[in-house]
Amino acid sequence: MGIFQSMNMTGSSLTSQRLRMDVISANMANAETTRGEYDAETKTWKPYTRKAVVLQSKEEGFSSFLNAAFQKTSGVGSGVKVTEIVKDKTPFKLDYNPDHPDANEDGYVEMPNVDPLREMVDLMSVTRTYEANVTVLNASKGMMMKALEIGK
Amino acid sequence: MELFSNTFRSLENALNYANTKQKVISQNMANSDTPNYKAKDVEKTHSFKAELDSSLKSYRTDARHFAFDSEGGQASTIVTKKNVQYNNNGNSVDVDKEMTDLAANQIYYNAVSDRISGKFQSLENVIKGGK
Repeated sequence: MGIFQSMNMTGSSLTSQRLRMDVISANMANAETTRGEYDAETKTWKPYTRKAVVLQSKEEGFSSFLNAAFQKTSGVGSGVKVTEIVKDKTPFKLDYNPDHPDANEDGYVEMPNVDPLREMVDLMSVTRTYEANVTVLNASKGMMMKALEIGK
Repeated sequence: MELFSNTFRSLENALNYANTKQKVISQNMANSDTPNYKAKDVEKTHSFKAELDSSLKSYRTDARHFAFDSEGGQASTIVTKKNVQYNNNGNSVDVDKEMTDLAANQIYYNAVSDRISGKFQSLENVIKGGK
C-alpha cells in the first residue's frame, strides 16, 4: 500500500472512536427512557437497552497471513473496524414508582440498564484515544511534508 | 565511481524503515482499544545483509532462485512484540511506549531526510562547479 496507509489507519480509528462517542451519547440520552422499543406481540413497551460497539483489528487479508506463514512475520494490517453494535444483556433496573404510567401492578417500573458512571468512564477513554490518534496523524503528516522537502 | 553512492541507498533504506515504523505505530494506536489485539514492532534486518552484499558478489543461475542482492530482501520485518504485559481484554498495546516511539521516529525520519537533502545539495554543488 502507498504512503497514505498510516493516515488511513489512523482515520479508521478516528471514525470508530467517533462512532463509540455517538453510541455513548445515545446511551446517556436514553438513560431514563422507559419506552425504547415497542413489542407488537404483547403490545407493551420495553425500556431502552444499553448499546456497545465491538472493535476488531483490520488485517490485510490473505497476503498478510501467507507472509506470516512463510516468513514467520506478520503484516502491518490496516487499522481498526467496527464489526457490530451489540445490545447489553444486563437485566433492567426495577424502580418503585407507582405513579409512573409504565409501572406494573406492583408499582415497579423497568428502567434502562444504562449506568451513567460507566458511560462517563467510557467517554473519557474514547476522548483520550481520539486525541492520541490525532497526534499520530499529525506526526504522519509532518513526516510526509518533510519528505516533500527532499532535494530542495 | 557511481554518481549516486551507496550512501543514498543506505539513507533510502533508513527512510523505508522509518516509514514502516510509522505504519506500525499507527496500527498499534488505532487498535489501542481492540480486544485481543497484539502490538507489533519493526526489526531492522538489513544492516548485516548490506555488509555481506558489499563484499560478496552473487549470481543467479536460474530464474527460480531467490535474489541475493539487497533489492530482493526487505529492509525491515514486522514482528509481534514479545515480553509485554497484557491488558484485561487481551490487548498488549502500551500507549506510553507507542507515543515515545512516535516522537523518536519522527525525529529520526527528519534527520534522515535532512541528510538526503544534504547529499543532493552537495551533488548539485559539484554539478554547478561550486558556483
